[in-house]
Order: sequence, then C-alpha cells, then structure tokens
Amino acid sequence: MSELTARPVPVSVSADEVREWLRDRVAAHTGRPVEEIRPDLPLTEYGLDSVYVLGLCAEIEDHYGIEVEPTVMWDNPALDPLAEALVPLITAH
Amino acid sequence: MTSAVPVSPARTAGVAGDHVHDKHISTLEELFGDAGDPVNPVGRAEIVAADERGEMLAAGEDLLTGFGLNAHFVPEALGGRFTGLEQLIGVMRAVYRRDPCLGLGYGAGSFMAGVNVWTAGTAAQQLRLADRLLAGDRAACAYHELAHGNDFSRTGLTALPGPDGRRRLNGRKEIVANLRRAGSMVLFARTNPAPGSRSHSQLLLDTDDLDPGSVRHLERFGTVGMRGVQLGGIEFTDCAVPPGSVLGGTAGLGVETALRSFQLTRIALPGMTVGLLDTALRTALRGARSRPLYGGTVTDLPLSRSILAEAFADLLLADTFTTVAARSVHTAPAQAGVYASAVKSFVPPVLMRAVYRLSELLGSQFYLRAAEQPLFQKLLRDVQPSAFGHASRVSCQSALLPQLPLTARRGWLAAEGAALPAETFRPGMPLPGVRFEDLALTGGGRDPLSRSLVAGAADAREDGGIAAQARFWCAELDALAAAASGLGPGAAGPAASPYAFGLTTRWAGVLAASACLNTWWHRPPGADAFADRPAGVLAALHRLGTHLDHHRDPLPGALAEPLYTELVRRFDAGLTFDLDCRPTGA
Ligand SMILES: Cc1cc2nc3c(=O)[nH]c(=O)nc-3n(C[C@H](O)[C@H](O)[C@H](O)COP(=O)(O)OP(=O)(O)OC[C@H]3O[C@@H](n4cnc5c(N)ncnc54)[C@H](O)[C@@H]3O)c2cc1C
Repeated sequence: MSELTARPVPVSVSADEVREWLRDRVAAHTGRPVEEIRPDLPLTEYGLDSVYVLGLCAEIEDHYGIEVEPTVMWDNPALDPLAEALVPLITAH
Repeated sequence: MTSAVPVSPARTAGVAGDHVHDKHISTLEELFGDAGDPVNPVGRAEIVAADERGEMLAAGEDLLTGFGLNAHFVPEALGGRFTGLEQLIGVMRAVYRRDPCLGLGYGAGSFMAGVNVWTAGTAAQQLRLADRLLAGDRAACAYHELAHGNDFSRTGLTALPGPDGRRRLNGRKEIVANLRRAGSMVLFARTNPAPGSRSHSQLLLDTDDLDPGSVRHLERFGTVGMRGVQLGGIEFTDCAVPPGSVLGGTAGLGVETALRSFQLTRIALPGMTVGLLDTALRTALRGARSRPLYGGTVTDLPLSRSILAEAFADLLLADTFTTVAARSVHTAPAQAGVYASAVKSFVPPVLMRAVYRLSELLGSQFYLRAAEQPLFQKLLRDVQPSAFGHASRVSCQSALLPQLPLTARRGWLAAEGAALPAETFRPGMPLPGVRFEDLALTGGGRDPLSRSLVAGAADAREDGGIAAQARFWCAELDALAAAASGLGPGAAGPAASPYAFGLTTRWAGVLAASACLNTWWHRPPGADAFADRPAGVLAALHRLGTHLDHHRDPLPGALAEPLYTELVRRFDAGLTFDLDCRPTGA
C-alpha cells in the first residue's frame, strides 16, 4: 500500500490518466494482466461487484486525496464513465 | 416466582433511566407470568408442546398482540414506540427469553421489513406500513431465493415493465417468515436486467392488492429449529405491481437500501438472541442443581461451576458488545455498518457455543425427549439460524474486508476521527434519536470505537488486571493495523484469502474489547456490588481471548467463583443474567 500513499497528488488530470490508473488498480485487485481490463465493460465482469468495489473506492480517495461517495462506483459501473465522473472531483480538489 | 422480588435493575440504579421503556419490559414480563407454572397458557410446557406441533404458540401471539409488540417496530414519529435500538432489543429479548419462535416469527420479521421502509420509503409509504403494523398486521421481508443464498445482488425475481409500461413480477422467493399470513411485504426484486448494484429495488406491497391468479404460495418449509416459524415461499407469474410500490419512488436503490437499513437488524438480532442464552443458562443451572451426583449435585463439581460461570461471562460479553453497537447507531451512525457486520459475525457463534457447552453440562437431561428440562433441546435447535440467517458470518466478514486497509491507514495509523461520545457506553442513558438518513455504506475509514479504546487506555488511572487488558488490546490494535496495511491490493477482493478473513475476526475482537473496557470505565456511580467490581468485565475479556483462539485456559478461579456466586444470586432472585439484571419469570 505504501506505493499508493507515496505518490504526489496530481494538480490536474485528464480522464485518460485516471482511467489508466484505475485499470492498473483493477488488474492488481483481480490478479489479471492490465491488458485484460477493458474500460468499457462493467467491473462486475471481473468479480468486482457490490461491497468488493468499495475497496477500490478507498484507494481512489487515498491516491487523489479526495472523498467520494462509494455509490459513485455503482452509478458508473465501467472504468470509462467512472474516470469521467472522477475528473471534476479531482480538479475541484 | 419473581413478581415479589423488590430488586431494581442494576443499570438504572441511582440514575434517571428510561422509565417508559423499563415499564414496557416489566409489563411484558408480567403478562408472560411464571414460565414454570404448569397451568400458565404461555408457560414452558405450552411452549414446548407448540414446538412439538411445529406451530406458533397461539396464546403467545395473542398476548403479544394485546401488548402491542408491533408498535415497538414503528418509529415514534409515525405513531409507534420505537425510540432506539437498545430499547427494542430489551423488549424483544424478553420475548426471546420465553420463546425464540415468538420473537422471530411474531416480530423480528416485521421489524426487518420495517427498517427498509423507515430508511428509504416515501412519507406516504412509511405511513402506510406504520398504519398496517399498528393495526396488528404482519409484514414479511422477502429477500431470500434458494438459488442465491446470501448473494442477494444475484436476485432472480424480476419487476420489469411490461408492454403497457406497468411493472410485472416474475419469479419466486423462498424461506420467508410469515409470507402467507402477512398483510404487507417488502419484496426485493430486480428492476433492471443489467448486472451491478443499481439494478434492484424494494417493493412495498399490500397482499390484497395483488391479483390472486398470478400469485402461488409454495408449501411451508420445515426446519430443524425455530419450528413454529411459518416459513413460506411465493411464486409470481406476470403479476402486475400497483403504481407507487417502488420504495422511495426511484428504482435502482435496492442494494444500497438493504446495506444501510439492515445495519439495524444485524445488531438487533444477536442482541435479541442474548435472551435465548439467558434462558438456556437458567435451564442448565436448574438442571445441574437438581441433579444429585457423587453425594452432592452437579453444581458442586468445580468443572461444572466453571462452565456455568463461563457461559455467564459469554452472555455478558455478547450483551456488552451488542449494547455498545446498538447505542453507537445513535452516536456514530456513519460507522454503524462496520459495527453491525462485526456484531453479526462475532456474537452469534459466541451464543451458539455457550448453548452447546451448557448442553454438555446437562448431559442426557437435554437429549431425552421426556427429561426434566425439555425446553433445552428446543433452545439448542433455535439458536442455530442466528449464525447463517440474515447475513451469514462470512458475508458480514466480506463486508468488513474491503474497509480494512483504509481503516488501518486512516483510522488506526493516522488516528483520524474522534472517539465515541461517553454516553455510548452508558446503557439505559438517554441518546439522540436514530437518524436513518445518516446510515452509510462504508465507515469511511474511521473507527471511533477503536479510538475510544486507545483514548480510554491513555486516561485510565487503574493498575492491575484492567490496565493489563487495556495494554494488551491496544497492542493488538497496533499489530492488526500493521498486518492490515500490509495486505496486497487483491487481498480484500473477491479472491480474499482465509488469512485476510481472519483479520476481520481480529478487528471484531478489538471492537468487542473496547466495548467491554469502555463500559467498565464509564460505569455509573452507585452501580450494584457486582457491576462495581471488575470480575465481570475481566471474565468477559478472558472469554473474548478464548473465542479468538488467544488461549484455551479455563476461567481462573478468582473470576469463576464471583461469577458463579452472582449467577446463583440472580437465579434465586429471578433476575436476568444480562447487563439489565431485571426481574423475569422466564
Ligand atoms: C428460521 C429462518 C427464517 C428465515 N426468514 C427469512 C425471511 O423472513 N426473509 C428472507 O428473505 N429469508 C429468510 N430466511 C432465509 C435466510 O436468510 C437464508 O437461509 C440465509 O440467509 C442464506 O443462507 P445460505 O446458507 O443458504 O447462504 P449461502 O449464501 O448459500 O451460503 C452457503 C455457504 O457459503 C458461505 N458464503 C456465503 N457468502 C460467502 C462469501 N461472500 N465468501 C465466502 N463464503 C461465503 C456461507 O458462509 C455458507 O457457509 C430464513 C431462514 C431461516 C432458517
């Protein structure tokens, strides 16, 4: 976990950057190669549903230094929309 | 047996307690009378006989209707008597002391349905269910499908719009209490075919409004224990849903509503079941004392006294943890989900093991159909569903697991967030009301009950046993924080290892220890002799260590003897064995 907290908090980010970081985390959470994680498929495809996806939410909070409603993960079930939803929260911060 | 005993409850001794709530429990105890009276229509003999027939005890149901039990499930603002979780547990525990089937089969099911509606229903829906319940009607809480077990996000029953735009029900629910005789039901249904956590909703339905031609009731499901509870099933075929049925008016919030509202029931159910252990302990003590052996009775044997004292300590441990969790719903609602999962995963096995060990003590007396204590075998069967019913141990641990790394970093290592307010640890003292809207999906990495352990240990002025325990549990929290922050990213996901699951048990252990220590540190002045001496809390903490596999030592004599003495004192005086220590005829 230390590699997560050590990273500097980005001042502004693009949806692309956020999405790539998320793909990386989903790969780590599910033990799959990052190439297998498609940003247009719902995370349930990778077994990350209901309460499990909330662990990813915690990492987003720590990495970007923001607080997000856990339901953002449910309202945006795939990484593409999730990245789009997170960008304004990160830049507002 | 008890009505003449002039003992005031320990918890309210010398302080202004919640008198209205006390009065309700006393009234209920009076209505139930002396369980041992052979002509009492709601006595032990009738309860055992109804169980043999697989029926709810009709006289017991009438008694609870007369008492107005349903009102205790309805918030005060809606005309009911629900003012808090601890009070509800107190009333329901009195029912569980007599007959767990009456507890679950008359009442708890309606409360489970109710919390969904109080958390997420529109004002009109809340009024509708409140009126139904206050009129004495039952509500079924229909979530479970045999095909999906605890995994309710895979629910198969659908409520999708038909060609005319109106929703139609298709599919079945199975093993649901009172499904056939309930006037209302909260039905958990898929309202969107897509996978994910925004595809379900609760529907609040009046059974009279459904077309009988499209509803089929399944045969009642038989069970090993809780035999009287009427477990039904239902199958819908293109059954039109009346408009305005979706809870809260917006479809898709079902998983969120379940995870938030069931925080209350996951604390309340184990809290109620403490009443079952109370009666099991009373029954075992009665049996052991009346059994002549080796020129004395079973209770003259040191091993037997130790087992009885340990069961008493288990009961105090279970009660203290659930009571603090119940009170924390009022003082830290955002963390209630964490404490509910911890209680629901940790407390039922403690209760079950205690009842099982008491059965060993009774020997053949509990096994023979026509023995002295026939109620005991029923209690041994009735306690089992507490482990797997309404969120199993593992599913509660899976809810804690994803929160563990963040809680370690934020709540434990960075020491973010406040400790719980002191009144959380003062049972019976007034609290702010429950704010259903503040129940949250995650604790946000904050753990005020653990903060209370660290803060309390730093402030404590005592030495000796309590101080040693405080140091031990603070060190355990540090070790747990180190272990949890070292978890790899996949460790809290779907492929979590048994090791990671074990960390959630350690977390529950720290929370239970904090509940015990803080209840001791915040004990009211003028508590009775037993509550004012540390034997009770030290024995509970010793048992906590046993349940967590820290050791296998029996309770040391210096703790076992005062506990046994208090146990016998309460038995002879007709007092309950929980923190409440109130008169009972059970
Ligand atoms: C007396 C009684 C009353 C009931 N009343 C109602 C009612 O009113 N309404 C209602 O809807 N239902 C009711 N039920 C149904 C009850 O809720 C279900 O039986 C129960 O929740 C599901 O149990 P299961 O063992 O089938 O679960 P399953 O999920 O099939 O579990 C099977 C096994 O897998 C394990 N497991 C589960 N999840 C995980 C996980 N995530 N990770 C690892 N292991 C896991 C479990 O621990 C268990 O050992 C009642 C049942 C009883 C006995």
